[in-house]
Amino acid sequence: MTAALTTVDIIAGYEDRTVLNGLSVEVPTGRFTVVIGPNACGKSTLLRTLARLLRPRAGTVLLDGADLHRLPPREVATRLGVLPQSPLVPEGVTVAELVARGRSPYQRWWRQWSSADAQAVATALRLADVADLAERPVEALSGGQRQRVWIAMALAQDTEVLLLDEPTTYLDLAHQIEVLDLLRRLQRDGRTVIAVLHDLNQAARYADHVIAMRDGAVVAAGPPGEILTAALVRDVFGLDCVVVPCPVTGAPLVVPGAGQPQPVIDEGVISA
Amino acid sequence: MSARSAAKRSPAAANEGVAVSARSAAKRSPAAANDGLAVGADPEPIATLPGHLVGRAGPVSVLVHRRALLVAAALGAVLAAAVVASLSFGEVTVAPGAVVRVLVTGGTEYDLIVRELRLPRTLLAVVAGTAFGLAGALVQSVSRNPLASPDVIGITQGAGLAATVALAGGAAAALVAPSALAGGLLAAAAVFALGSRHGLAAQRFVLAGVGVSFALRALIEIVLVSADAIDAQRAQIWLIGSLNGRGWTESAGVGVVLVAALPALAWAARALRTTALDDDTARGLGARPAARRLGLGAVGAVLAAAATAQVGAVDFVALVAPQVARRLAGTERPPLVGAALAGAALVVLADLAGRRLLAPVQLPAGVLTAAIGGPYLVYLLVKGRRS
Repeated sequence: MTAALTTVDIIAGYEDRTVLNGLSVEVPTGRFTVVIGPNACGKSTLLRTLARLLRPRAGTVLLDGADLHRLPPREVATRLGVLPQSPLVPEGVTVAELVARGRSPYQRWWRQWSSADAQAVATALRLADVADLAERPVEALSGGQRQRVWIAMALAQDTEVLLLDEPTTYLDLAHQIEVLDLLRRLQRDGRTVIAVLHDLNQAARYADHVIAMRDGAVVAAGPPGEILTAALVRDVFGLDCVVVPCPVTGAPLVVPGAGQPQPVIDEGVISA
Repeated sequence: MSARSAAKRSPAAANEGVAVSARSAAKRSPAAANDGLAVGADPEPIATLPGHLVGRAGPVSVLVHRRALLVAAALGAVLAAAVVASLSFGEVTVAPGAVVRVLVTGGTEYDLIVRELRLPRTLLAVVAGTAFGLAGALVQSVSRNPLASPDVIGITQGAGLAATVALAGGAAAALVAPSALAGGLLAAAAVFALGSRHGLAAQRFVLAGVGVSFALRALIEIVLVSADAIDAQRAQIWLIGSLNGRGWTESAGVGVVLVAALPALAWAARALRTTALDDDTARGLGARPAARRLGLGAVGAVLAAAATAQVGAVDFVALVAPQVARRLAGTERPPLVGAALAGAALVVLADLAGRRLLAPVQLPAGVLTAAIGGPYLVYLLVKGRRS
């Protein structure tokens, strides 16, 4: 198993606090990797460090063996596509214009719209199933459509790796599945996909590789069938649960509340 | 499309839905990265971006927003008409046809009035308005805020304070403009320094500017109050912003800076493309948001300070002109050329109105632009509340 992205002992955080303290993790090439963990465990910080959005204070991030934070930003943008958590939609921008923005790293002032750009934008619109919306303003779209447009923008970047920070947040269940199905298709085409997800069952169903985090450290990493156990969920989330095989896919299915009468609150799910 | 929808319904078939075999092979070799996604995978690439025109010559391609181009052409026509009107009207009215004849061939009885008396002042209005429009477009784009402009974030006030000190101190008239230019640039430097944390975050940058602008305003008042009455009067007139009695020298002062800024503006036109995106998204596309904001903001500050130094604080032009151009063009940020033309037309018309409305009393152009700017802000407020 080769690693597309590797972190070696990274220390990263924000001005007033350190979030990741000596974290080392590998993201396997060509797989769908999902990062899980409770709120404020450092999932997003890890993703932002892997995406070159945040420079670690110490340690290195390797992209195919090269120091990510020393590579030129433009080159990185042709190899890593990023979808931040809640990107700002520019006022009045159309779907095609926004998706075309994904071509920025390939464009120069003398080459503002090459045939490769046209091709990549058309393909990205089609892959994300938003070709019909091309001339619509992004503001006018529903949350699910909008998310697919952002994914299309990252696809237009034509990168081998895609990083997404909670791509399903604020979407209803049908749209969540739609986005996850799309990501899995993209991964099966040969891309490396890394996403932060909140829903353990979705993580178990879609991921080839799960990274479970708590307090800025990796608790476990591996295929969901091997690592997603009741013990891990208790350890990471402090939640009692039963893990059963999913009746549809056979992947681990996490059912909160192991018969204990005390109410457990997690992610808006209350069980007694 | 139908094959795709079918693939979507059945996860098992997902792999067949998108056959992009060339991808992985191309990916491994960085040299081939530019060849794009799976050539041939899509039978109908969109030849151009909807709403845009593509100009192509061999490997060179230029992408232009169609409506922004039309708006620029229309604003150019408005500016031309405003310039002719400005040259026509005065104590002696020269017919527009005669104005054009004077400009093209010369040798008419109106040569003196049009060329020597009116043209210098009109030219100054054009170059100063252009600089204000461009400066506003740059500042509004980097701050992602339609209410930010050089006169809101302290650059105009910095120039004003320096000019006030120079005038109140009895400095030679020739020193006022250079002092104002330096003052404007110093104020901009202070804003950048104060806003520099968190990679010059857009919000922080504007707040720092508003703070600096109020502090400088207070200092201007203090200097005015403690100055000799006549000097204070001269400073007051300077602060309002007027083109009265100004011409070739001042035009050259602004023009030199505009010409010198042309390469920077050419760069800006490209760098602006990702300014409407948030910093993380822009960074993901290979941009350097902090460096870009500093660069674009600095170009805007230089243009605003240069124009303010020559004509004084002609308020609101830098605020209104870019937004007029943006609303007309329907773009996500002010288009540079449109903003420049709108700024120029606005100052020419404001100066013309100031000269003629209460003739023979001359109102400074700055009074007229402020009179337009106030209601415009109210309009923005009302419109914002509705949506």
